[in-house]
Parts: sequence; C-alpha cells; structure tokens
Amino acid sequence: MLGDAICIFCKNTHILCSAGYWEAVFAQRSGWTMSPSVRSDLGYVPPDGGWGWAVVFGASISVGFAYTFPKAFTIYFKELQAVYSISYSQIAWITSIMCATTYGGGPISSILVNRYGSRPVVIFGGLLCGIGMVSAAFCTSILQLYICVGFITGFGLALNLQPSVIIIGKYFLKRRPIANGLAMAGSPVMLCTLAPLNQFLFDNFGWRGSFLILGAILLNCCVAGALFRPIGPATVPVKTQMTEEGKGALKEEVTEDAMEMNSPTDVPMENKTEEEGGKDCCEKINRYLDFSLFKHRGFLIYLIGNVLMFLGFFAPIVFLAPYAKHIGIDEYSAAFLLSILAIVDMIARPTTGIIANSKWVRPRIQYFFSFSIAFNGTCHLLCPLASGYTGLVVYSIFFGLAFGMVCAMLFETLMDLVGAARFTSAVGLVTIAECCTILLGPPIGGTLIDTFGDYKYMFIKCGAVMVLAGTFLFIMNYYNYRMLAKEEKERKVKGDPKEDPVRTENEGKNNWNKETAQDGPELEPLREEREGLKKEMNGTNEV
Amino acid sequence: MPAAFSEKRLGLRLLLCLSFSLSGGSPADPTVTTQDVSKSQANLLTKMQAGLNESSPEHMTTTQTVNQQTQGNLSDHLTLGHNISTSGPGLATKEFKQASGGNVSDVTFVEYEVLLPGVSGTSVEKNITLDRGTRIELSCRLDNKYSHLKSLQVTWKRGNETVRHINKTETSWSIQLRILDNSKLGSYSCTLKGEEEISAVFNLQVPKIEGKEKPIVSYEGDTAVMICKSFGYTPIAWTWYVTNGSEQIAINDTLLTNKYVINRISANVTHMKILKLTKEDNGVYWCEAAFELGKSKGKLKLKVLSLMVPLKPSLAIVAEVVILVTIIFLYEMYSKKKEKGSEAEKEFDQIEQLKSEESNGLENSSARHRKI
Repeated sequence: MLGDAICIFCKNTHILCSAGYWEAVFAQRSGWTMSPSVRSDLGYVPPDGGWGWAVVFGASISVGFAYTFPKAFTIYFKELQAVYSISYSQIAWITSIMCATTYGGGPISSILVNRYGSRPVVIFGGLLCGIGMVSAAFCTSILQLYICVGFITGFGLALNLQPSVIIIGKYFLKRRPIANGLAMAGSPVMLCTLAPLNQFLFDNFGWRGSFLILGAILLNCCVAGALFRPIGPATVPVKTQMTEEGKGALKEEVTEDAMEMNSPTDVPMENKTEEEGGKDCCEKINRYLDFSLFKHRGFLIYLIGNVLMFLGFFAPIVFLAPYAKHIGIDEYSAAFLLSILAIVDMIARPTTGIIANSKWVRPRIQYFFSFSIAFNGTCHLLCPLASGYTGLVVYSIFFGLAFGMVCAMLFETLMDLVGAARFTSAVGLVTIAECCTILLGPPIGGTLIDTFGDYKYMFIKCGAVMVLAGTFLFIMNYYNYRMLAKEEKERKVKGDPKEDPVRTENEGKNNWNKETAQDGPELEPLREEREGLKKEMNGTNEV
Repeated sequence: MPAAFSEKRLGLRLLLCLSFSLSGGSPADPTVTTQDVSKSQANLLTKMQAGLNESSPEHMTTTQTVNQQTQGNLSDHLTLGHNISTSGPGLATKEFKQASGGNVSDVTFVEYEVLLPGVSGTSVEKNITLDRGTRIELSCRLDNKYSHLKSLQVTWKRGNETVRHINKTETSWSIQLRILDNSKLGSYSCTLKGEEEISAVFNLQVPKIEGKEKPIVSYEGDTAVMICKSFGYTPIAWTWYVTNGSEQIAINDTLLTNKYVINRISANVTHMKILKLTKEDNGVYWCEAAFELGKSKGKLKLKVLSLMVPLKPSLAIVAEVVILVTIIFLYEMYSKKKEKGSEAEKEFDQIEQLKSEESNGLENSSARHRKI
C-alpha cells in the first residue's frame, strides 16, 4: 500500500538541516551564470532578479510544504491507529488521498491561475490548508479525518504547488534553471524541519494539539503567496517602452502617429476584446486550460516520458529503510541512510540549477534531464550489488544526487518545451497524468517484494523503468530538437517578421495574444495608468 | 574478526549448560539428548563463529540468533536457538536454548552456557526469562585451557542458602531445579574457589512488560488509549491499576463502563480506553501481566491538557502570519507609490523639455520666416 510505503519512509527520517540555499546565490554573483539567448514568449522581459529572489524564497516554502507535508504526517499514524482502532492500511489512506488530491488538483489550480493570477490562488490555498488541519483537530472519526486532512488540506497544497512553479517562469528567463533549482530545494529543507518538528509537537501536545498548531504553520503559505507580486506584459515593458518611445516621439514631429507607436501592446489587446464576443466554446475552454497542448510535440514527449518515469521514481526511497533492515542493518543506521539521501538532495538541487543554467547545458537541457533520469535508473539497477552498510551508503549518496538532479529540472524542462506562457496549463495537465503512476509506483514495488520475497526485483523494476524513460526522452528530444531546427529554418526562409519563440510552434501569435488577454485582471490598474498618460500626451500635442 | 576477538580477548571460557527435561522421561534419555545436543552444539558453535566472522562488528553489542531444526535420534523436532552476545568488557556469553514441542513424552533440554571470566573478582550475570513452570539445569563449565587448575571448590548458592550440585564432568558442575512458582525465582550463583575466586550469577525472572516512557498527551473530554505489550511470552491475564496518591487501585471496567474500557486485542497486547477525560485522570497508570510464575508491571503516564494549551502557540503563529502579510503588502504599496512618483517626475520633465523645444522650434520657424 502506498500509504504503508510512505509511512515507513517518514517514520525513519531524522535529518539535520544544512543551508544549501545561498550557495547558488553567491555562486551567481561571482559571475558563473551565462545563459544563451532564449527568447521569451511572455510578451515582456522577465526581471531575472530583484523581487524575483523573494518570489523564489516564497516558492520554495510553498513547494516544500506541498511535497513534504504528506511524508512528515505519518508520525501520527500509530497514535491515530490506536485511538480509532483501525488497521494500518486504513490510516495510510489519509496520505494517499492527500497525495492524490495534491497532484489531481493540478488542472483546477492551473485554471484558477490562468484566471486570477498566482497570488490569490496561493493565499486561498494556504487558508484552505490551515482550515483543513484546524478542523482535523476536532475530528471524531476516521472518515472526517479523510475529508479534513486528505481532501481539504490536499487541495490546499495543490493550490500552493502549481502557482509557485508557474510564477517562477514569469519572473525568470535567463536564470530560470537556478531559480527552479532553488525553489525545489525547499523540499528537502522543509523535510529536515518538519519531521523533527512534528515529533516534538506530538510529544508535547498530542495529536489534536499538533494538528491545531500545524494548521497555523500551514498558514505561512499565505505569506509565501503574498510575496508573489503579479507580473505581466503591462507591468514591466509598457512603462519602459512608453518612456523610451515616448521620448523619441516627443523629440520628433509631434503627431498622432506617436500615440500608436507608444503602445504596441494596446493594439492587439483592443483587437482581442473585439474578438472575444465572437469566440466559440473550444477557444473559451482553451483560455482557461490549454488543451491544444496535446497537439504540442514537446509536451507529448515530456508527458509520456515523465509518466513512465514516475512508475519507478518514489518506490526506492520508500523501501530503502526496510531493505536496509532486511539485510540486517539496525533501525537507526537505516534511518541515517535516508538522512544522507536528504542532505545530498538538498545540495544537489541548487547545484543542478547552476549547471543547467550554464551556456553549455542550457540549449541542451533536455539531454541533461534524460541523462539524470537514466543515471537514477542505473543507480537502482546497481543497488542489489551493494553489500553491507558501506555499499548502501554509497548508493544513498548517488541516489540523493540523482534524485535532486531530476527534481530540480522537473519543471524547468517543461517550461523549456512549452514556453512560460502555456506552462500554466501544461503543469496542470502533466500533474494529473502523473498522479496515477506516482500513486501506483510504490504499491507495485510492494507487490513485487511480497511475491518474490526479495527486494532486488523491485530495484530492478524501478531501474529498468527509469532507464527506459531516460532513453525514450533522449531519443525523442533529439528528434524534437531537429524538427524545431527545421521549423526555425522554414520560418526564416518565409521571412516571418514576428519572431516566434524557439520552443513553441506556429501558435506563437495566439499565445502572445492569449497571454496578454489572460493577464487581464492584473493589468486593470495599469491600463488606466496608460489611459491617463495618453491623455496627457494628447494634451501636450495640442499645445 | 569477532571470533578472534572472542578467542584472544576473553579469558577463561566456561560453558554453562542448562539441560531441560520437561516431563522427565527415562533416565537414559537425558544423556542421549545431551550427547546429541553437544554434537549439534559443536556444529552450531562453529557455524556461529563463522557467522560472527562475517557480520558482527567490534565494539558493539550484537545479538545473533540462529535457529536450527535438527532431527537427530529423537522422534520429535529439536529446535535449537543460539544467542551469542558480545558485550563490552570482553565478556562473552553463549546461550544455548533448546526446546521442542510435541508429545508429552518428548524430552526437552534448555542449555544456558555462561562463560566465566578468568579474572577474579569480576562476575558474569545471566538473565533468564521464564514464563511458565519448568525444570531447568544450570551448569558451569570450565574451559579446557584452564583445566590445569586443580583443587577447585565449587559452591552453588541462592542468596545465603547452598544448593546441592552435581559434578557433570571434570570441568562442569550443575544444579537441577524445578521452578513451579514465584518462590523459586531469584538469583543463583556458582562460585569456583581455587587460588582465585570465579563466579557467575543466574537471574531467573518473569518476562518484563514495556510501558511507555513518554507521557501520553490527551485533552479534556477526549478519549485516551493506553497500550501494553508483552514480547514473546503470553500472559495469563492483564490487570490495570491507577495510582491514587501512593496506592495502586485496580480498575474494574465492568463497574465503570462509562469511563474505562479494557480490551485484550491479542494474546500479548492489551488496550485500555479512558473516556471523557478530566484533569483528575492525570497521573501514572500500571498494566500488570500475570504469568504462571509471577507478575510483571509496566508503567504509563497520562497527561490531560486543556485546549488552551495548544491554542496559544497557534494564535501566536497566526498573528505572525498576519503581521508578515501586512508588512509585505505595505512594502509593495510603498514601492509602487515610489515608482509612480518617479514616473510622474519623468513625465513632468519630458513635458518641460517638449515645451522648451517647441518654443525653440517656433522661434526657429519664425526666424526662418523672417529670413525668407
């Protein structure tokens, strides 16, 4: 049972915190990062710094809570089992439901972000989590716990996870891999703090008091959400374009043509608002959740590869400690293996971000991703050969490294393939597809272990699946890169003035329009600003 | 490695063998079985050493249990259990346990071997757990290395009382005991007096019950569940006690069904649920397991808190969240105002510039006109 599996993992996690966080930031300042010119399809130039780092910090908190809360929650299982007189698998349903809701709520999250922007969604998600846990503190039956902890908190976490990842794509372009790596590093850091904290709370306050306090702690996601300042085409470039082009216009002959040159973004927007009335049903749905992504070659490759990969991704972590105990290692040393894994993971994620951002890797980031998946798989395949504690320690180190590498690039590669504009919908669709295999992975591993009585078949299965996924991604991405290069050549030959971004197909124009339209609510106050400035200019012209 | 460790570092090895005869078969049987046992013991010993060579590290207490089933001359199954534990100061104790299930006529032997140290003054202690009435034989054996030590006076004692012993061999001495009730449990010692005094102590005791070290925390009006487990041995009955002042009062759940519910979940586990908790339920509880040979207790602590206790930290954290969110929003508004302000200034400058340029332009055009 997945719940068993997650539970075993969580029970044995004792970790020390280390600050792998600021490594990347300092490394950056020393001038390590050199990025190629990856064009953005956002319609503006992302700041790549400044407030973006605060956003990364907030995102890491959000992501950390979303990934580690189910794992750290398993400390309460024993007590809850005794209080409600239920079996292990029944109690393990709580975390299963939580995980399923977190991943399955992805599309809803995407729709809400498309409509309202990241900030309100994350704040609402934080509130939901808090309410869920506080109400769980007053539960009197296991069914109520399923609903409060499983559904409500799980959905709140879903509303935290997706927007955090999305907003990184809006704030970063050149340094996006680093930002992604840092944000994902929040997961092991949070695990370090949440696991011992949960134990402390449980010892001092019992499970009801702990749930109450955890609800309050989850409200910190709202703080993270408050950091997610909205950003869009109007906020950043309009002003700069206005001031620069405005100056130019004023220096030349003052005519009304200057007005049109001043606001290029206005024109397509006005066109769009006229068109909106005549849209049909499909396009309306696509506005909220971009189903046309299923025609996108890169997206499909990513989807298939990842769905395959997740079959063997989480099972080894879950079964590492039981495997160690099985071959005769004592409980504390087995738990220490997981600590080693978490510490290496913590360091690996920002480091991978830095490496992925370098000029040699960034254009070929998909290959790097496929390589890390295949590397992960190879580790698992070699694990049965590890004998004794030293062998397992070496395996843990390599596994931690590989795990961190894959996690850090998980969302970066998707952004790279579909572009930041369509990433909102893409991430929702991907998470709901991955949901199934993530939940299936550990139980299949568990069944293999039970059938054969030996852990090595589980490792072989995981390793084989991941090597297969890595190879698939490698080959398909090679094909994808070639096709993209071909299309780029054709576009140049046709002499298309509108420079479509490298990563998307011919729907670039539509994307741009869609993006500007979708950012509607965020632009309202700024549109008024522009109107005001226009009037001023008109006034001066008349003079 | 550990085999060398045990060979080199240990001094005298005295093997204490315990032979069990459960139902007292024919006189010939014990010797037969002892021989069988010693043969299989020897086999197992070598295997154990081989096993130790492979896996147990030094400086750590490791316990290895090897279970073997051998079908010797006996018609029943012999289950041999070996415990080899190496503990700190170079003392090694080898425990051989044999028990067989089956018919009443089967003979069972349990041998406990204790290695006596060669150094005088230090004594070896062996804890033996018994849960039901049995016949045991405790024996002290001297290792062949030290067989040169002659004129050894051997005494077996329980407290101050001397127990008659049997000279099994030249270098081993044993006593046979029938343990049927609590009075026979206790510490038995064998002392070898020669030039130096060497002794070993056997502690015969009932199985220990584990309670919970950390207090169980619960809330007023809630239900608390207390669990007691017995490891390996099945007690006859469980009783729960609550501590009132210095007394221990038994809990009768049939009398107070609204308050206490006692369930025996499985043979070795008992649950007690305390319903509708109040502050008075704070305190120490005991779960007692009754075995044939005696009783054993486990301690549990219950802490009952009011809901205000966790509420305070929660409210503090909520306040912190609200403050942080307010600060962030205020900072954002402030920085936006600053930007607007600076933009307005820029616009103002541009307008000024335009005006001045226009006026210059007009002057130029008028100058041009004039020139023309």
